[in-house]
Amino acid sequence: MKQLILSLALMGLASTANATCFADYKAKMDNPLRLHYGVIELPDSACSVGAAASNIAGRLTGGWQLLEVMSVFDEAGLDSRRERAGQYYLRF
Amino acid sequence: MQDNTTSASESRITGTRVVQLGIVAVVAILAVAAILLFSYLPDAGAFNDAVEEIFVVNDALTTTESIRILEILAQSGTTFSKVLASYRAIIFVLIVFATALLIACLVFLITIITLNRRMHEIEKSGIQVSSLVVSREEGVVYLNNMEFKLTAAAMETLSVLAEARMDDDVLSGAEIESMVSGKPASDCEEAAGATRIKRLRDTLGNQMVSELLVKNIARRGYMLAIDKDVIKMI
Repeated sequence: MKQLILSLALMGLASTANATCFADYKAKMDNPLRLHYGVIELPDSACSVGAAASNIAGRLTGGWQLLEVMSVFDEAGLDSRRERAGQYYLRF
Repeated sequence: MQDNTTSASESRITGTRVVQLGIVAVVAILAVAAILLFSYLPDAGAFNDAVEEIFVVNDALTTTESIRILEILAQSGTTFSKVLASYRAIIFVLIVFATALLIACLVFLITIITLNRRMHEIEKSGIQVSSLVVSREEGVVYLNNMEFKLTAAAMETLSVLAEARMDDDVLSGAEIESMVSGKPASDCEEAAGATRIKRLRDTLGNQMVSELLVKNIARRGYMLAIDKDVIKMI
């Protein structure tokens, strides 16, 4: 419930900031190998799969390395990905 | 005809060369085996890379559960790669052992061959007669590698005995005397043949003993031509 409110709030925050560009990506961490699928918000300037890669790679922290940017989408695509991204939904 | 004589030093030189070549060959073969072993075993990161590739290629594997399963897969792979690393160390140690054993075997083999040859030489120089060459023109008989000078009469006797031996015959004293002198056997005395045999034995035995046992060193004197360790007084 708390998570839902938090994510709703985040959504609200996202919409009020008028950021309509998001990307989903795959990242990894070595030794031991850890993987995650995440959703991240992008500035309008980097709103394409090619441009998003360097932007996301710079923002991932804690030893995470970007493997692949899967797609770029707007707010309409958020709901379908929230469940899958789990704790990495709009985390970075 | 090939020269079939060998000397101890010659065989030792060949033996050393064979040992050197053999050791180089053994070390080279096993070094190549070790290099192949180390280059073909996957390194520790291979499993992680494979799992990472599966993750990147399959877009369906993005749910939390499937990601967790992929991580577990990678961890078990990493554990297995540690096992592989220990196997590699064990195999390498075994290869080193194999090298050492092969080299030892080679050295021992060459030693045995060399010793056999030397034993053969020793046998030849002993009392065991392995060759008898009679040279009538020179008046010389070669027993093994030893040269003995014989008088014409002794040479005749020896030749007669040698020919009889080749035909597997046994000669009586009268027969020997008749063959040497050319008279019929009925006219010859047994004692005459026995005397010829005695003279042959005397001259040959005398020379053989001086060659093998009682040596005469020119202008110095006489000594026994044997190893002093073999002498035992009872």
